[in-house]
Amino acid sequence: MRAGAACICACLAAASCGPSGSRPAGGKRLYFVAFSQANNAEPYRAAQNEQMTRLFARYPDVRLVISDAQQDNSKQVAQVETFIRQKPDLLIVAPNERAALTAVMGQAMAAGIPVICLERDILQPNYTTYVHSDNRKIGRMAGQFIVDYLTRRYGRPAGNVVEIRGLLGVEGEINRSAGAREVLNRHPDIKIVADPVADWIQAKAKDRMTEVLRAQPKIDIVYGHNDPMAVGAYLAAKELGREKEMAFIGVDGLGGPAGGIKKVMDGILSATFVYPLCVDKTVEIANRMLREPGFKPEKEYAIESILVTPQNAAELYQRFTTPGER
Amino acid sequence: MPDLLKAEQISKHYGGAAALRNAWFSLRAGEVHALMGENGAGKSTLARILAGAARPDSGAIFIHGERVQWNTPLDAQRAGVAMISQELDLFPSLSIGENLVIGNLCFGPKSFVGARRIEEFCRPYLDQVGLKRPAAAALAQLSVGEMQLVAIARALSLNARVILMDEPTSSLFEDAVERLFRLIKRLKSSGVAVAFVSHKMDEIFRICDRVTVLRDGETVGVRDIGAASPREIIRMMAGRDVNVSRKSDRAPGPVLLQARNLSTRKLKQVCFELRRGEVLGVAGLVGSGRSELGAALFGLDRITGGELRLNGRPFRPRSPHDAIRQGVGLLPEDRKLQGLMMQMSALENSSIGALSRMRRFGFVRHAEERRQVAPLWARLNLKCGAPSLPVAALSGGNQQKALLARWLLLSPDVLFLDDPARGIDVSAKEDIYGIIDELARQGKGVILVSSELPELLRCSDRILVLNNGRLSAAFDAASAAQEAILAAATSEAAS
Amino acid sequence: MTPAVKAPAPVRKDPRRLLLAAPLRSVAALGAVVALAIVISPRAADGSCIFLEPGNLTDILRQISIIGIISLAMTCVILTGGIDLSVGSILALSTSLVAMFLTRMWQNAGYAVHIAGAIAAAAAAAAAVGMLNGLVIANLRIQPFIVTLASMIGIRGLAKWLTGNANIDIGFGQDVAARFADVFRQKTIVIGAYAALAAAFWLTLSRTIFGRYVRAIGDNEKAARYAGLPIRSTKIWVYALSGLLAGIAGVLYAAENHQGNPNAGVAYELDAIAAVVIGGARLSGGAGSIAGTLVGTLIMGILTNMLRLKNVDSNVEMMIKAVIIVLAVTVQEKRNGQ
Repeated sequence: MRAGAACICACLAAASCGPSGSRPAGGKRLYFVAFSQANNAEPYRAAQNEQMTRLFARYPDVRLVISDAQQDNSKQVAQVETFIRQKPDLLIVAPNERAALTAVMGQAMAAGIPVICLERDILQPNYTTYVHSDNRKIGRMAGQFIVDYLTRRYGRPAGNVVEIRGLLGVEGEINRSAGAREVLNRHPDIKIVADPVADWIQAKAKDRMTEVLRAQPKIDIVYGHNDPMAVGAYLAAKELGREKEMAFIGVDGLGGPAGGIKKVMDGILSATFVYPLCVDKTVEIANRMLREPGFKPEKEYAIESILVTPQNAAELYQRFTTPGER
Repeated sequence: MPDLLKAEQISKHYGGAAALRNAWFSLRAGEVHALMGENGAGKSTLARILAGAARPDSGAIFIHGERVQWNTPLDAQRAGVAMISQELDLFPSLSIGENLVIGNLCFGPKSFVGARRIEEFCRPYLDQVGLKRPAAAALAQLSVGEMQLVAIARALSLNARVILMDEPTSSLFEDAVERLFRLIKRLKSSGVAVAFVSHKMDEIFRICDRVTVLRDGETVGVRDIGAASPREIIRMMAGRDVNVSRKSDRAPGPVLLQARNLSTRKLKQVCFELRRGEVLGVAGLVGSGRSELGAALFGLDRITGGELRLNGRPFRPRSPHDAIRQGVGLLPEDRKLQGLMMQMSALENSSIGALSRMRRFGFVRHAEERRQVAPLWARLNLKCGAPSLPVAALSGGNQQKALLARWLLLSPDVLFLDDPARGIDVSAKEDIYGIIDELARQGKGVILVSSELPELLRCSDRILVLNNGRLSAAFDAASAAQEAILAAATSEAAS
Repeated sequence: MTPAVKAPAPVRKDPRRLLLAAPLRSVAALGAVVALAIVISPRAADGSCIFLEPGNLTDILRQISIIGIISLAMTCVILTGGIDLSVGSILALSTSLVAMFLTRMWQNAGYAVHIAGAIAAAAAAAAAVGMLNGLVIANLRIQPFIVTLASMIGIRGLAKWLTGNANIDIGFGQDVAARFADVFRQKTIVIGAYAALAAAFWLTLSRTIFGRYVRAIGDNEKAARYAGLPIRSTKIWVYALSGLLAGIAGVLYAAENHQGNPNAGVAYELDAIAAVVIGGARLSGGAGSIAGTLVGTLIMGILTNMLRLKNVDSNVEMMIKAVIIVLAVTVQEKRNGQ
């Protein structure tokens, strides 16, 4: 028992090594930036984390801490609460779900901590600024791509669409779906025959798609709300030998060998839409907020998206892949 | 010639208390040696140390004059020492054969363990102990007494030179005891030494050569059986003389419980009557249906034929709860498995059946609880150092008394006692006999099951003998002879 | 009749040591964890210990309340030798129901009545599920693990089906749902509910007849049967209570998260069981107490907070928790086994 207790103490002591709080290092001020990420397991978010770390690393006076809520609302609320206790100079939150995180981000504002809301929004504007991309616009672009694809294939805008949805209740999911349907609803012959939910996860999408494939004899195009889910759907179709029957499009368009752009280059996806990580803008605004006391950011910053097709995939791959990843 | 097994100056502490302080013991080859003492004297602890199941804090053990150091029972087994513990240490979910063969160093190559090989290996040992069941039968089907036979068969299969037995006959009836003693004599003549922990004076005088007495963790002395007397040994065990209770004059009253052609899964058309103020003894071999009779009266077994009448009205208990409500109680055979909640205190165990009498708005009134239980404990001579300790910390005798107190508190009209004095020290046994007498004097009907004929003859007014589920004979206790009872229990005619 | 010799004193441990051991051991463990937390806690700019800030301490209490409430009833279930794996799913059902009742039904009722009704409906549904569990376990004699496992799956499906697998948002305006959330997410209400329930359960287990029956059944069900105890009804009540408390936890969860979420509470049953086990209960039944469970819950909560204040990776956090659980159980067994 004593040995065990000593072990634990050693572990905790080791885990706790490192500077804490905003004590000056060598006379200069050390900024503490806390980033509460919703779920490290999604590739999009992992890419966000990686870019955030890389960009902040250029500023040696900034200490960045990232927490992972593993897609659990209660966990993220508790993690943000704990961050508030540590009085960071800036809090960045990528909320897991809108309703759950609204109140605690308000608490952070009330405690005088500036808050940047990243990519997903919340029910009330409890933040200093909101950096996002226009998911509705992406949805419309996707809808338009579907219309164009079906017209090219059949001569008229008609066909069966499967929509694979992300975590319900998240702004990105709501808008990517609504935007697409806005466009598709104008063409009564285009039918959405199934819209299963796969929580942004590739494995879940594969399972859901398998069920849909068994139920649907004819599918023309699969619209996954993110690339992993579109890829999962592709794998499901491939297992049943039906992958040539339909086209697959996704959203995210990450660079690197595992990202969506490469999948377009390899012919797995017919198209994807670059969903900006929004991190470069966030870091830019963050730095200004930290160093310029009088700086008042806009309430919202919207970042543009780009359609990726086999024609421009190679060039975009070069653009969005960091040298280390190639 | 050095002793086969010798232990010197053994001491063993558990926590703060000493189980053994300065115990010594010696065993010669071809000897049957008894280890006696009251509960708590340390007999079981000493036996476990001799079998390698516990390590002494100090002292030494010698085999053939050479000092040995054992870390596990396996070391002791290799040295030729086997033990049959009081708790039997068998696996209820396995078969008889599997129990014999598991961990058995004498059971050849372990790669193919087919049912036939197991049967071949086990049959001679099972026959030696007189168990007629196939080796593939599940252990859980056997009664307690039959399980003991399996435990003894296992020890024999280990080809040990020293066999330690901890109360082996506590649930065996006469004929099985006879068989065991014949077996021990055979082992003796082949040079095997048998050490025998027991409470039963008459058995020890029948078969043992020497007896060592322990008291309060120390060896008080060793005697040759030929030169000792039971009274002397009791005095050594207790430190002073022990009073023996006498059965008082009782006149049985009106009929309380009647059974006509009572049949269950095991019983076959049993008929008997129990009067108020009467103690009805039940004798029979292991497996003859004694405990099953209690199960039928207590709502544990389904009654398939015949009828029961309690106070003249039909009595068909559906569950123990039902039976208790109608005034019938049962003290089970195995107090640890069927009677006590080992992690609850002795007080809680005694009061658990009658909590509705000490309640207010669903809460237990602790003062009332103590007030109702204390006089019963006094009657039973139950002295408990700290009443809120888990009952597992008490001696066997005290545990049984706490359980019996539960029934005294509930005070049913009919109380079925299944071997209540099994495995208990001498003075506690006397206390329990006294209580049985008192219950009868109060006008209750008591049914007493026991494996010890002397006990039945002493306590009962009449004795029923069961044989293979049937009622084979009924005797008046005053005029019955042991031979007649034994004959009725074993005769083939009754089955 | 009284023999001249008194019954031999039991040659076992010194009784006083055994009596003091159990509660002291738990408190000692808790004390050790608190001391450690204070020592390694980061310091604020003015040098004070962040861990000890009243805001942080009440945060901890609030963060453990939901699992804590579930653990109270889980203690009773485990004491009977059973287990309830469905509490997470029941919580999800309850959050969904309370959000549904507040946002979609009875729109014309007065606020107080509406809120009370929604809470009552959610809690009643949860208790009914628990009672169903209990009925199946007690009457059909199927193992609790299996029955509550089936429940866990089925009730999760029910919650998802009722809500269409979508969250039901509770807004921030002035409507009845928002008022409900405002009131029931306050720290004082949440911690107060936990404290009140803990006191009630402590009293029940240690002082009532029902509590004795619960412990007796877990200790030795066969002996309880032979003693004529009401085994079936006790078991049914115990599982009903487990469902009820999961329901109450679900109501508080809905207020805290401002949403009814059919995917809530996943793996909560494991956290609750961990708290009960660290508190000294045996999964085989008969041993355990509310005090122990409270200590177990606090230890887990303080540990988590301590690690988060030091920004330890949450995966490392989980590994440390696993080690703590095994250590805690080993210590219990060592002390009990002697």
